[in-house]
Amino acid sequence: MSISLTPALALQGVSKLYANGTLANDNVSMEIAAGEIHAVIGENGAGKSTLMKLLYGLEQPSSGRILLHGRACVLRDPRQAIAAGIGLVPQHLQLVPSLTVAQNVVLGCEPTRGLGQLLHGRAAVQAVSTAAQRFGFQLDPHAVVGDLSVGARQRVEILKTLYRGARIVMLDEPSAVLSEQEASALFASLRRMAEQGLTVLLITHKIREIRSACDRFTVLRGGCVAGGGNAQDFSDAAIGAMIVGRTLSAASAATPARRPPGQNAGALVGAHGLTAKRADGRVVLSGVSFEIGAGEILGVAGVEGNGQDVLAHVLCGLRAPSQGHADIDGAVFTSRGVRRARAGGVAAIPEDRLHDGVAPAMSIIDNAMAVQYHQAPLSRRGWLDPAAMQGFARGIMARCRVAAAAPEALIGTLSGGNMQKIVLGREIASAPRFLIASQPTRGVDIGAAQALHEQLRALRDTGAAILLISADLDELLALSDRIMVMSQGEIVAHFPARQVDPGVLGGYMTGALHAAGAAALLASPFTASHAQAHHEEQA
Amino acid sequence: MTPELLSWGLLLAGLLAALLRAATPILLAALGGLVSDLAGSINVALEGLMLVAAFFGVIVSAHAGTWFPQLAPAWYPWLGCLAGVLAALALTGVLAVCHLEWGADLIVAGIAVNILAAGLTVFLLASLVGDKGSTAALNSPVLPSLHWPVAPDRPWLNVLLNGADGRGHHVLLYVALLAAPLLALFLKYTRYGTWLRAVGENREAAFNAGIPVRQVQYAALLLSGALAGLGGIYLSMGYLSLFQADMTAGRGFLALAAIFLGARSVAGTFCAAMLFGASAVLATQLGAQQIPTQLVYMVPPLVTLLALVAAGARRRARKARL
Amino acid sequence: MSEPTAQALIAQQQRRQILQQRWRLPLAILASLAVGFAMTAMVSKEPLRAFLTLLTGALPRLQWSPEEGWRLLRMVRFGAVIEDAVTLTFLGLAVALPFRARQFSLGADGQMFLAALAAAAVSLYVPGPAVVVLPLVFVAACATGFAWGALPGVLKTRYQANEIVTTLMLNLIAIQFYRLLVSGCLRDPGAGFLVTPLLPDRLILPLLLDKTNVTVMLLLAPLVVGLAWLLLMRTTWGYEIRLVGQAPAFARQAGVPVERAVWLSMACGGFFAAFAGVHISNALLKRLPVDLTPGLGYEGLVVALLARNEPRAIPFAAFMYAYLRTGAQAMERTTDVSREVVLVIQALMILLVVSERLLPRLAEAWRSLVLLRRGAP
Repeated sequence: MSISLTPALALQGVSKLYANGTLANDNVSMEIAAGEIHAVIGENGAGKSTLMKLLYGLEQPSSGRILLHGRACVLRDPRQAIAAGIGLVPQHLQLVPSLTVAQNVVLGCEPTRGLGQLLHGRAAVQAVSTAAQRFGFQLDPHAVVGDLSVGARQRVEILKTLYRGARIVMLDEPSAVLSEQEASALFASLRRMAEQGLTVLLITHKIREIRSACDRFTVLRGGCVAGGGNAQDFSDAAIGAMIVGRTLSAASAATPARRPPGQNAGALVGAHGLTAKRADGRVVLSGVSFEIGAGEILGVAGVEGNGQDVLAHVLCGLRAPSQGHADIDGAVFTSRGVRRARAGGVAAIPEDRLHDGVAPAMSIIDNAMAVQYHQAPLSRRGWLDPAAMQGFARGIMARCRVAAAAPEALIGTLSGGNMQKIVLGREIASAPRFLIASQPTRGVDIGAAQALHEQLRALRDTGAAILLISADLDELLALSDRIMVMSQGEIVAHFPARQVDPGVLGGYMTGALHAAGAAALLASPFTASHAQAHHEEQA
Repeated sequence: MTPELLSWGLLLAGLLAALLRAATPILLAALGGLVSDLAGSINVALEGLMLVAAFFGVIVSAHAGTWFPQLAPAWYPWLGCLAGVLAALALTGVLAVCHLEWGADLIVAGIAVNILAAGLTVFLLASLVGDKGSTAALNSPVLPSLHWPVAPDRPWLNVLLNGADGRGHHVLLYVALLAAPLLALFLKYTRYGTWLRAVGENREAAFNAGIPVRQVQYAALLLSGALAGLGGIYLSMGYLSLFQADMTAGRGFLALAAIFLGARSVAGTFCAAMLFGASAVLATQLGAQQIPTQLVYMVPPLVTLLALVAAGARRRARKARL
Repeated sequence: MSEPTAQALIAQQQRRQILQQRWRLPLAILASLAVGFAMTAMVSKEPLRAFLTLLTGALPRLQWSPEEGWRLLRMVRFGAVIEDAVTLTFLGLAVALPFRARQFSLGADGQMFLAALAAAAVSLYVPGPAVVVLPLVFVAACATGFAWGALPGVLKTRYQANEIVTTLMLNLIAIQFYRLLVSGCLRDPGAGFLVTPLLPDRLILPLLLDKTNVTVMLLLAPLVVGLAWLLLMRTTWGYEIRLVGQAPAFARQAGVPVERAVWLSMACGGFFAAFAGVHISNALLKRLPVDLTPGLGYEGLVVALLARNEPRAIPFAAFMYAYLRTGAQAMERTTDVSREVVLVIQALMILLVVSERLLPRLAEAWRSLVLLRRGAP
């Protein structure tokens, strides 16, 4: 690893304050030497993607400087960033499926001959093969990108940046879509790139990668730098603590009464071996089994993209699992479509409120009745009853204390918190026995979030089972009776909520701890009775 | 050659020649629609664009003598051709601006352009010519046809190359036949062709790769307008030598169907256009054989529907296998 | 100087948007009429009179004469407006309903042709009193329209076949089938040209206005509009159609049967187009010619767009469209301007209405111009 005196890339006091008041980056300073593989690590919302946008010219810093090879530079758009030698491999690959590897790599700056329009195909192929060999990529320039695996496609993206003369290559969550082997192959390639003097910036949330792939790292937490240093000098647990390191907030410290394990009647909802595959064959859910008792909240922790959204879709009926099933009181409700699942007592709060949870251009009444409109009293034999619809909407609004508007107002005019209250109120009004809540308080102000938590607890008290999927650890710790951690489509850890340390939880979420801390695991199937037994064991 | 074989050969050659002539306008418009569709903008205004080009072609070529007295008469039809293409380009420009700059839905705007073209052409027809039916009163020239000298001992070749009437195929027919392979080459081997396909397949990727997406979208729409315009000019300055109200008679929509039937590829579109031309020819032939022409005219749309269903069924089967 | 807060800015933007929405249609109408006037000015020697005729030519004239008192003249012309408006109302509904589910169904023409065919066939060949047969005529027509509308719907939901292409193709097939039957088994052997026999008198809808073709369909039209409105706003099916059109992902999440809503919207569109078919066969023409011009369905599209796909606004849009069209015919008869100028006006109207960003851009340009003027002393 070559050490030059002037860092290839340096940030000095960089902050980014968005127009809506969000301080995404707060006085971030870091230095990255040439030929170094540097990881920027942190949870979702810690400011990693904002930092990357600043470095690629997609955003401008509100204050601070960015220095390239010691010289301050202003990057107004990606073209300037590319000209300055910065390349970005985005998380969602930007490739044209019907073109070949060579064509994709040179897209936008194709070598031409003749009158300047005829593609010089051979030159492109030549350039791509040379670059691929130089960095050890196994790529056939003539292969059509649409047929390649994800790992190969990612390498095409990397080649794209290299072809445009990038000396600093940023990769955004590269291993999020890769399998273990593909990830190792990727890191080997990155190492070869670094050996040739290139600087690599890895944006990630996976701790394991840091020590295996990187030289140095910086931890971002809440927009600020929370730590950093040489990868060798820190243990996985220490890094995990830096990432997650929070004290239990006051709200969750004063834990409201949770049902003690002994009072559960037994499993109400059971998931058995749920498996799901993506269109390209990649497994996104792998043998997920768990049980939830009546009146119990099971929290699902895990960094996004590890299968939680697929699990939610399978359980609410939007998607059929390729294997396995789930049931309530023995009655199977998966693989039957959404309406049958709902008829069986399942309700769901979707993750993307504006896209899947409401129809923003329709009224509150129309949104409130979306789940039960085909049943009395909202409609009889196909005829809607406007008075009943209005009363229904008013009822929900009153129960959720949304006083902001008339029921005829468009729901899109409400604040995020009020919208979510209506969404939850609507689901609760269908008297579900099982509620799947995905990111229920995302984008919601604190007051509304507390009201939503109260509603969830009230629902639990009626004897329903709740699956709470959340990226907010405070929320999980405050509401859940038990917490399970998902990673790569599997359940990797499972604790009673009262006994979990946030640092340990974070460790499992970010992959630092992986089936190593056996004492933290409860035996499968992860049932309430087992939780009780474990609790008694520990006591 | 036996007289029987000879007569069969003549018949086939005649049918083939007629097929090419009938398919030419559809082929030109379809190639234009294909270009814009590959760039991600479906152009449903092909019908109207053909119409305006046909109209302005006739008008300008008929009046070229009075407007440009120095010009040799041989140039009049070419001037008309240019005018027709420019007219189609202008109308396409309206469509493009409404969609790309002002956010109009492309399909709705395309339908509006069709209505605009229909109204404008008849309006101007009435005002400039005084006859709302056609421009028969004007003596508008046609673009030249190309005649190949063929030895007299190969009559079927003569019919094939020069048509049943022996006058030779229209120059735009050759343009159409050349346009297909040229377009295929353009899409595959030129930089702009790659950019066009990239913009249509993954606009964000193209934008991030530095391709001037807006420019490419405009260019694709304008090119489609130019090709459709050529198709219209063929109708009024080749197929017939006048402009009639609504002379396109749905060919623009058949061109659209040809694109889908041809699975959005140049070769497929070419074959589909030939199929549609064939059905037009067959209709007249079979009409003589007591098969109602309406049945024959039903064949192209039916085939298109079946092709769409087959494609959808294939996709279902693939998904079910997962 | 106080900085406007983010909230205040958002509120101001929302207010501007609502204002612009409300003004878009009237401004579009004015602008396109202005262009139409410019066009007539270019070709006519008396553009003002021509344009005035366009705007007033369809109106009946109230005349006083000492013998007969007040009389309404030119009712035939106004009758044509009403007939057209009735047909266009049905065709507008035929397009608007699928549009509410976000489906571009252009199949109103084919649905109307087949429904007219069914109506004529039942009228000609089913014996019985009018009380029995006339409802059958409607049933046959509506069933045909419903089925021919459901077909592209099913092709879309099962095979993801683009509904623009399928409805266009089905239009072509329907029109050819119509021509086949009219020149074949439904042909009137005694007539000099290809046409069906005259429909029996008892099955021709009774007239409301003498010397016109304004029939009881005029009374039926608002009922059908009301039916469409009830369907859309007061039934579960209509709710599903609206929800799927506004937020298909949300509809799926809520368990709404999205596929059924899609094909049902298109089938209901065909159902409404059928009324136009009955109107043409049993009221307007009383016998079906082989050369019935296709294309009315696309005018229904214009009407639906102008009415923003709202059933209760469709009769008004249809009336305005028919009014302008008849006015244009009057203009053509009495001046030197041909009636197609109204097509240009209507096309421009659509373009201006659907160019969503045009008005905001103009407003912004205006504002910056004003600011510039204000800034420079």
